[in-house]
Amino acid sequence: MELLSNLALGFSVATSLENLMFCLIGALLGTLIGVLPGIGATATIAMLLPITFQLEPVSSLIMLAGIYYGAQYGGSTTAILLNLPGESSSAVTALDGYQMARKGRAGVALAVAALGSFFAGSVSTLLVAIFAPPLTAIALKFGSAEYFSLMVLGLVMSIVLAHGSIVKAMAMVVLGLLLGCVGTDIYTGAPRFTMGITNYADGLNFVALAVGVFGIAEILRNLEDEGGEREVMTKNVTNLMPTRKDFRDMVGPVLRGTGLGSLLGILPGGGAILASFASYTVEKKLSKHPEEFGKGAIAGVAGPESANNAGAQTSFIPLLTLGIPANPVMALMIGAMIIQGIVPGPNVVSEQPDLFWGIIASMWIGNLMLVVLNLPLIGLWVRLLTVPYYILFPIIMAMCSIGVYSVNSNVYDLYAVAFFGFLGYVMYKLRFEPAPLLLGFVLGPLLEENLRRAMILSRGDPTTFVTRPISLTLLLMSLAVLIVVFLPAIRKSRDEVFVESEG
Amino acid sequence: MYSFTRRVALGMALAVGVAGAALAEFPDRQVTLVIPFAAGGSTDVVGRIVADKMGENLGQQIIVQNVGGAGGSLGAGQVAQADPDGYTILMGTVATHALNPLILKQKPYDPVEDFAPISLLVLVPNVLAVNPELPVNTVQELIDLAKSDPSLAYASSGNGTPLHLSGALFNSMAGTEITHIPYKGSGPALTDVLGNQVPVIFDNLPSASGHIQSGQLRALGVTTAERAPSFPDVPAIAETLPGYETYTWNALFAPAGTPPEVVARLNEAAVAAMQDPAVIERMAEFSAQIVGSTPEELAEHVSAEMAKWEPVVTEANVSLD
Amino acid sequence: MATRNIDTTNVVAGVLLLAIGAFFGLQTMGLEIGTSLRMGPGYFPMMLTILLLILGVAVLISAFKTKAGEPIGPIAWRGMLLILPAPVFFGLTVKGLGFVPALFFTALIAAGASIKMKPLTALILAVIVTIASTLIFSYGLGLPFRRFGPWLPQF
Repeated sequence: MELLSNLALGFSVATSLENLMFCLIGALLGTLIGVLPGIGATATIAMLLPITFQLEPVSSLIMLAGIYYGAQYGGSTTAILLNLPGESSSAVTALDGYQMARKGRAGVALAVAALGSFFAGSVSTLLVAIFAPPLTAIALKFGSAEYFSLMVLGLVMSIVLAHGSIVKAMAMVVLGLLLGCVGTDIYTGAPRFTMGITNYADGLNFVALAVGVFGIAEILRNLEDEGGEREVMTKNVTNLMPTRKDFRDMVGPVLRGTGLGSLLGILPGGGAILASFASYTVEKKLSKHPEEFGKGAIAGVAGPESANNAGAQTSFIPLLTLGIPANPVMALMIGAMIIQGIVPGPNVVSEQPDLFWGIIASMWIGNLMLVVLNLPLIGLWVRLLTVPYYILFPIIMAMCSIGVYSVNSNVYDLYAVAFFGFLGYVMYKLRFEPAPLLLGFVLGPLLEENLRRAMILSRGDPTTFVTRPISLTLLLMSLAVLIVVFLPAIRKSRDEVFVESEG
Repeated sequence: MYSFTRRVALGMALAVGVAGAALAEFPDRQVTLVIPFAAGGSTDVVGRIVADKMGENLGQQIIVQNVGGAGGSLGAGQVAQADPDGYTILMGTVATHALNPLILKQKPYDPVEDFAPISLLVLVPNVLAVNPELPVNTVQELIDLAKSDPSLAYASSGNGTPLHLSGALFNSMAGTEITHIPYKGSGPALTDVLGNQVPVIFDNLPSASGHIQSGQLRALGVTTAERAPSFPDVPAIAETLPGYETYTWNALFAPAGTPPEVVARLNEAAVAAMQDPAVIERMAEFSAQIVGSTPEELAEHVSAEMAKWEPVVTEANVSLD
Repeated sequence: MATRNIDTTNVVAGVLLLAIGAFFGLQTMGLEIGTSLRMGPGYFPMMLTILLLILGVAVLISAFKTKAGEPIGPIAWRGMLLILPAPVFFGLTVKGLGFVPALFFTALIAAGASIKMKPLTALILAVIVTIASTLIFSYGLGLPFRRFGPWLPQF
């Protein structure tokens, strides 16, 4: 009953004409900027943050939240249409979404992403409303040892992302981890692999890396044989909306993705990062047609997109109940709260119930708005693909340059874009895949930081990872995934040997 | 450089609008305030609140630009090299103008030679707090516990930050050896202390205040010489360790060589902004103590801070390449 | 035995991994390794470097065991020559020339990468991109970019 009255309070705040308008503006602005190539949620919110400072606290946070999930939504659109992820989560969407687009199914991919996100957003918003305090207690049980084991699980799963050679995928993960080491060591302050360039002291910029290895490598690939007949996109776009079969194919992935994303999103130490990767892995393993993954599998879009959106909503739990940001976007929101004179922390729920519940209600409304806004837009986006590629890519290059530069005004990030574009292209030529590299890059710093912290806290005793029950469970799960991944591979290579000696 | 005619034209236009006609020439276009940290942090918050009011006083908008990186050194270095015309100014902190220059082996700028001080704006206290499950209620009890339990550790927002060094100064003055555990920012450090993964924390008072009020953190002492007005019940650490004093501060700097009349105009606007009731209210909510000093006072403050921190940095053996 | 070719792609791939491993290995030399209790900054990278070298060798070995894969195919020389410098150019000139001219030339350089692009089309495209972006980012969002930088004569 208390929940109902709280939700009623929330909706009364969120549906005031003013707040509906700010929610709409936020979602719309977020989508529009997020859809520009190479600009993800973090960059968008950093750009738009000052706009919200003039508003009332509730309105300002409602608008910021709108920008956040709007930008995430827009980022997925670009990932599907142009293979240009602006965030680590949309990198997974790009894997199969872009392949669907190339086959003329861009409309379906976008619709699946929209519907899956909406469902996930609705469910996880409800979760936030009902379970926020108990879930917070779980999140606090995660110490460094647990995070380390969680990251190990994530890395093991990342190998499944690849559809080619497992050894090469592992090499990419390791290279990603090494690239993640670039910057200042947080324990000693020693610079690592920065080549003496202070501008890399805080590490390489994720957007620069993602835009390089995904987007620019893709442009170069498309420029390879321009004289030839190969078209980047099929011109004959089939139906825009998912068919009945598509709907059947997406139900399971959406449900599982929502569950996974909601759980991982609670962990403020970087759980949400894993959501879309984990969902992709699970779907590929459960699928009857794992060979379709990476070639346009609908489950490879539906699952990760749902997981991503669910995680995005539940990552508000540590923000709202503890005042602790789970990601850079949340950190910006904390700043916005402080500027508005609100002390972020556990007291927000009791002292400012209208703020707390208003934001939660507006999250659902915002998700609804996004679906309503974007389903009709799909036709427009798909038509964008009929623009000749040679017109499109100079625009992409210009937008990427602005987007990367706008985050930190750091010109060295732009040089990194060029370098990683080159590296990404060389890797493509050598049949390496970029997705495991990206995951390694994202998880590497977390893995190392938590490993070292856990070792200091346990006074050098490595058994800390197996004596803590949550950590042990996660490690056992990693082991199980490893077995599931490698058994078929071992069997397959045995078959190959067999075939070869026969011939 | 703007051409003479435009300057005169704009200057005249301003002279009509602004009362202080003698100073009307500056500013004739928008001023950029470089904040050497990411958007959303405490320096950013202070900067944006002040920039807003200062802009009104100057009759020109102040654009905030976040140039984060290398613990503030990138943004500070950028302003040090900017044209000394007053159109690019810096929100400096204890990190950019005392700690980094002492810690960094390669110094990207000189905190005294490369800058023209404008005004010391605010002092922000830090706080020593523990997880309530740790059986200590006072600073003295913590010192006793640390002496009997060598595995005690404290969390801070990062290596070489004012909070790390607040802990180092505490260790050195109390004769304890509480292990330092650095995090990437205040948020993750707080999480681990709330979850009792690490029992002790040095944090900025504004970022910890919500948790202290709710009882999820037990504040043992504030790091300022006096108690903080927003937490009158929390003693100062100096009540147990006489002479202990650290705080984070924010101050405005222009590049060295900025004409004195321009610095004076900026100082006037900054001091006026710090006396604005809305700013005073915000800063109080933020547990920040308003100063609004003269340029000369800021210059003295910087030298005093460097002199205070040098032995701590040396003793804690902190150095960054 | 089936006819066994060497998979040249994987030879190059293996050598590249070894080269990258060697690069990181050399860089790690200067870092303190530490102990497992107090791991130094070099501990984690060193383990990764060793792992990368092992994987490089594994890829190299696999190149001699499998049949030749797909050929490397055409290489986008023109693309690399013009696409990659575009963001670098933007980075070098955005402060000096200012946002507007830097963006204009960036778009123009990138446009040159396609053989299908005609000079006039490229010029028009670059103008449109520049105007649109200036309106969106500089005026619309108020990003703190200088539109025209100090390298240009001021009026």
